[in-house]
Amino acid sequence: MEVEEITKTLRDYIVKRYAIPASDADFTDDVHLFDYGYVDSFGAVDLVSFVQQAFDVKVSQGDLIAYAMNTINEIATFTSLRQRGEL
Amino acid sequence: MSNLTVHLENTTPEYLEQVRYALPFLSEELVSYEVSESDRKVVVVFRPGTDAEAMRGRVDQLLQRYQQGQFGMKSVLYFDQRHELPVIDAWAGLLERRWAAQVGEGHVILRGPAAQLLALVDHKVISIFAREFGAELELYPSTIKAETLHRCNHFTSFPEHMDFVSHLKQDLNVLSGFSSACRTEGWSPALHEGKMSAHDFAVSPSCCYHAYEGMAGWVLDKPGRCITAILSCHRYEGANHKSLSRLRSFTMREVVWVGQPAWVISARARAEELMQQWAKDWELSCTFESSNDPFFTDDFAVKASFQRKQEAKRELRMDIPFEKNSISVFSSNFHATTFGKAFDITIAGRPAVSGCVAWGCERWVYALLSQFGFEPAKWPVGLKRDYDAFTARDAL
Repeated sequence: MEVEEITKTLRDYIVKRYAIPASDADFTDDVHLFDYGYVDSFGAVDLVSFVQQAFDVKVSQGDLIAYAMNTINEIATFTSLRQRGEL
Repeated sequence: MSNLTVHLENTTPEYLEQVRYALPFLSEELVSYEVSESDRKVVVVFRPGTDAEAMRGRVDQLLQRYQQGQFGMKSVLYFDQRHELPVIDAWAGLLERRWAAQVGEGHVILRGPAAQLLALVDHKVISIFAREFGAELELYPSTIKAETLHRCNHFTSFPEHMDFVSHLKQDLNVLSGFSSACRTEGWSPALHEGKMSAHDFAVSPSCCYHAYEGMAGWVLDKPGRCITAILSCHRYEGANHKSLSRLRSFTMREVVWVGQPAWVISARARAEELMQQWAKDWELSCTFESSNDPFFTDDFAVKASFQRKQEAKRELRMDIPFEKNSISVFSSNFHATTFGKAFDITIAGRPAVSGCVAWGCERWVYALLSQFGFEPAKWPVGLKRDYDAFTARDAL
């Protein structure tokens, strides 16, 4: 799956799951999802589950410590590299 | 007495520290406990007649709770300044000099140089931090509505800490009867059992909750507000109450930011830099590292590991050679929009984010005396300079 497609799927999921209004100018693919409060600790668990199921990749505790996964773009890049076996 | 032994799978220091902290809250039937790292076991002793299987279930539940968590337990050391230190029993020294008096479980009175040291630490915070950030002074009540704590999610994170407050019922017979019984029999808890009103307040467990409740419904101007306050806070710690390092009633000074994310994050980072400069100036033997709160609920693993991953909590820990341990004397916290959402505080059309830095004042006194002793002449140059200037000019 292309990284752009992963990005769009993730963005759509987060917008719907966390009820982010279209008028929210801060919400971009590069916004820090946790610092800006879009996703909290339990939302992060949910988001990791979604990534694993939707994109058929494994995400370990070690991955969560080793790789930056705070923005939609960061999560999409990680997912794409993991799908291609490059991580 | 009955004994129960449970095998430990995990013996990492962080895990054992969490388990040791939590075990006193296992049950009121608990008499004592021991966590043995070398034998990889926990031994708990409880009163005869206690259901042993139920007790084992509770121990298993606690041991499971503190496993690594969904996001791992990321550990980052930002600053490490260690010195060779003498071994000083500061608590014994404080009591011997009558600079401290224990007047109840986790309740201590400080006097003389110990009180001056506490005041000096607070004076330093105001001089360095409150001025740097143009913090507005706020003054808070010592109690807080239970409803406010619920909005802060305090009960779903730290239920064990709560010291609820109540009063005798507004009932002439109850009031007269209580007073009369105290006069004739002397006071005992039994005299007010069942005669109290609803516990709708608690003694404040933290300073900054008041800042958020005081701003409920506010629309902030960019980039946000910085506040400072000092408060006598209460946290019930069961058998963990010890010296000045874990008090039930203690003094907390905070600097709090509520506003736009980039502004709060940048201010927090600057405060951490200033704290490290202070630690260097006073030659503290300490580390500044990532940490997590001791969430006392079964969702510990999610909350603590997420807090670690996001580096939402960092602590300055001062070495206590006498205890072969260290204690946190300063914490730096980032809450994202937790309190902005809880109290409807907005900025630029979004929930405001918040962060705070906090100093546990009695812990500073204890750690400074533990590291440097009771003679100011032998203290590090920076600490002695500030103490002398403060006691000559500013102290009462």
